[in-house]
Amino acid sequence: MLTSANLLLWAVLQLALLILLQEAFAWWIIAIYALLLLYSATAVLQKRSAASLKLANIVAALLTLALLLNMRQAGVLHFMLQILLLSAILRLFAMRHLHEARQLVWVQYFLIASCFILHQDMLLALIIMLLFGANCYSHYKLFAPAGARLNFTLTGRAVLIILPLWLGMFLLFPRLPPFWQIPNAKIASTGLSDSLDPGSIEQLVQDDRLAFRAEFSGTLPERQQLYWRSYLYEHFDGRTWQVHPQRRQQAVAPPTTAPDSATAGYRIIAEANQQRNLFALGMPYSSSQGVKIGSGGLIVADKVVSQRFSYSIESALAPLPLQSERERDMNLQLAAGNPKTSEFAAALRQQHTDTEQFIAALAAFFNQQDFYYSLTPPPLGRDSIDQFLFQTRSGFCGHYASATAVLLRYAGIPARVVGGYLGGDWHPQQGYLAVRQREAHAWVEYYSQGHWQHFDPTAAVAPERILQSLDMSLSDDERDMLIPFWQRSSVLQLLSLQLMHLDYYWSVWVLGFDDRSQQDLWRTLRQHIRLIAYSAVAIVVLFLVGMGLWLLHRRRLSKPLPAKQLLLKALKPALKSKAPAQSVSACLNELAKRYPNHAAMLQQLLQHYELAVYAGQPQAEHNLKRLLQQHKSSLAALNRAIKNT
Amino acid sequence: MLAQLHQVEQSLNQVILGKSSQIRLALCCLLAEGHLLLEDLPGMGKTTLAHALANSLGLSYRRVQFTSDLLPGDLVGLSIYDSRSQQFRFQPGPIFSQVLLADEINRASPKTQSALLEAMEERQVSVDGETRPLPSPFFVIATQNPLFHAGTSALPESQLDRFMFRLSLGFPEREAEHELLRSDNRSSRLNLLSAQLSPEQLNTLQLAVDKINTSDALIDYLLSLVSSSRHRRDMLPLSPRASKAVLRAAKAYALINGRDYVSAEDVKTVFPFVAEHRLDPTSNARECKLSAMLLQQTPCPL
Repeated sequence: MLTSANLLLWAVLQLALLILLQEAFAWWIIAIYALLLLYSATAVLQKRSAASLKLANIVAALLTLALLLNMRQAGVLHFMLQILLLSAILRLFAMRHLHEARQLVWVQYFLIASCFILHQDMLLALIIMLLFGANCYSHYKLFAPAGARLNFTLTGRAVLIILPLWLGMFLLFPRLPPFWQIPNAKIASTGLSDSLDPGSIEQLVQDDRLAFRAEFSGTLPERQQLYWRSYLYEHFDGRTWQVHPQRRQQAVAPPTTAPDSATAGYRIIAEANQQRNLFALGMPYSSSQGVKIGSGGLIVADKVVSQRFSYSIESALAPLPLQSERERDMNLQLAAGNPKTSEFAAALRQQHTDTEQFIAALAAFFNQQDFYYSLTPPPLGRDSIDQFLFQTRSGFCGHYASATAVLLRYAGIPARVVGGYLGGDWHPQQGYLAVRQREAHAWVEYYSQGHWQHFDPTAAVAPERILQSLDMSLSDDERDMLIPFWQRSSVLQLLSLQLMHLDYYWSVWVLGFDDRSQQDLWRTLRQHIRLIAYSAVAIVVLFLVGMGLWLLHRRRLSKPLPAKQLLLKALKPALKSKAPAQSVSACLNELAKRYPNHAAMLQQLLQHYELAVYAGQPQAEHNLKRLLQQHKSSLAALNRAIKNT
Repeated sequence: MLAQLHQVEQSLNQVILGKSSQIRLALCCLLAEGHLLLEDLPGMGKTTLAHALANSLGLSYRRVQFTSDLLPGDLVGLSIYDSRSQQFRFQPGPIFSQVLLADEINRASPKTQSALLEAMEERQVSVDGETRPLPSPFFVIATQNPLFHAGTSALPESQLDRFMFRLSLGFPEREAEHELLRSDNRSSRLNLLSAQLSPEQLNTLQLAVDKINTSDALIDYLLSLVSSSRHRRDMLPLSPRASKAVLRAAKAYALINGRDYVSAEDVKTVFPFVAEHRLDPTSNARECKLSAMLLQQTPCPL
């Protein structure tokens, strides 16, 4: 039935869909849709009748035109979603008849399923399933008689029955490539970007979201080696470090062969960050599909990572070789300004002509002078490197990396800033390393003896940051700043951790189940084909036997008594048409009343029938048979009389 | 023996005119050793029927008019201090009789109503910690006004369940009432009723009820009838006690009709009067809607 509760449920459902699918909509579409929904909901609440079909048609025509004009900008997929939701909203807007409601429910099923195009997150999947359940309920309500209540045991049983089919579909349904191009989202990218301000990492560090997870095929490398490289900043304009324009053009690095140093193999499950740069340790030399090893040993995805994405990498835990002379020259360029730094670098370089000695002296400089590691450094003005090195002396990893790279370049050593992540939380039971945005870090690579050597000035200032975690290297106040208020309670912290683990399994087992895993499954199935066939046959046979026994049992139970069968045969027209609740005796008595000339015979039959059925006299059945033989002609006459009336 | 029973029936029919089916059902209840509840408007002949039943069966009977201030002690009896023997002596109440006429039972307080409970089920009473058996046979024939009448308090489900039958007499036919008005004083007729059945004969008849044949198919039918009440929201489920009562009543009914087997028709006849007050305690005895519905919806394979 079309109840106001159902209409309201649909309005709420469509609002939820609008929110879930908002990526696909421009702001003005969201506004118009929300207004239409508001109108429908208030119409239901105030018990007004729905809008007229004419109005709905006019609105539909205008909006479709607007959406068509917007289609080039939105892309085909988003346009389809817009049109689909529009049709659902306008259906509700002008809802008057039951058959319209039935159409609406089906459109809503489709819309709910299409939410999975945009969202694969576990919690959102849960919400989408809830919406699906709500739609199912409204569907049920549409057909249920008034006042009927949902039988939960029955529903639960139905779900259990369908569960194997559902699992089979998930496991065996072919994983087809999508028919549509998922357009790039217009939402901002997260994580590091292609420019590094002195303050940009401090902001990132306050973000507790997951950046990626890594699972290692071998042992977990030492913590000092967990420098996840993501960006190379090689262009310095005096204040900000940027990815060098030449680096961008250089798309793919020449393939490198497996090195002879220590290696690490790992799989990374990257969260959606709306950019192409991904993460790797040391020098990657082999990657799975979907990503390429770009120049400078960086991992670049083929497409912008707009959904959770997993890839595998083999890395050598060794410094990268120099790619070209140009690369070295690129990393000697300097911007004007910072005279003190220049002087200091030149002086230090005179003392230490050897590059390694120079680096050691620099580390000692950072370590022995009163430098501080702080999340809230004072702002820097012009000549920011000078100010930092000789006045404020308080900064975050970005400051140290930037200052070190500039110092090295002044000393004539090619150097660049590397942006990425350091360390991560190792979860031994689940076997993965969780790296959050707050683990963002910047360090330096300098050129020496044909390779880009790694140098982290932060290690000289705050070694705890490298060896333990960020929290250890900060003051108590700063640490509090980093922890979201809801994580300060240990229970909530534990809960959020468990949720993260669950989310991990979700992405590994559900989202990660792709065409390759499916092929593996098929292969395993094929290997055991004989066993499977035998057990299938056995199950079918058992099922059939059980079914047969059950049917036999039922049949025996419902088989009419012999005496009744005799009467049924003899008095078919009367007994077949009697009400099921009427007993044979009552039926015979009625016949006796209606056909008085047969009454005597009927009474006799009745008496013997009752003796046979109720008193269990064996010879009564025999007598009944004889009696029926005796009265064959009058029975035939009676039957004819019954048929004629 | 059956002949005497039919004589009893006949003489009852002379006192209560035009109510032969109810009289037969009432007798059936007594044969099945069940207690009888008569529910009807005042002046319909409930008390007369109760009296007549007790009279014609030759049983000792007491009548208690239930009122709101009737106490359990008034019913069961009291221990009285005897100054001569310097002991407490139990003075048995009216309940120590073979037939107890509980007139207008729903006028009494729930406390007094529940004092009847033990007596009806266990056929014994406990007074001052001492259990005393009641005479045998022991019947309670109770009458009550329909619930909507002023000053009535409904019998609780547990106590309604103790009554095997609930009958309503209903208005007499026009001819029967004509006859009633023409004839002389009814109470004199009542006094004329003599015992036509000795207690021993009654006992033999009650034993004969046990020997009535019941086929498996019939019991299956009865079970499907009873179990169909157990999956519904619009009625209370029938208990195994109820199904036992239906079967026993059907057996007694078969006996009165001179058969040694129970037929489906017997079950169908007694079912409304045995089941209706258990399916819905607030229902009206005149219309047995729920049990009629069950009878109509349960297929009868016999």
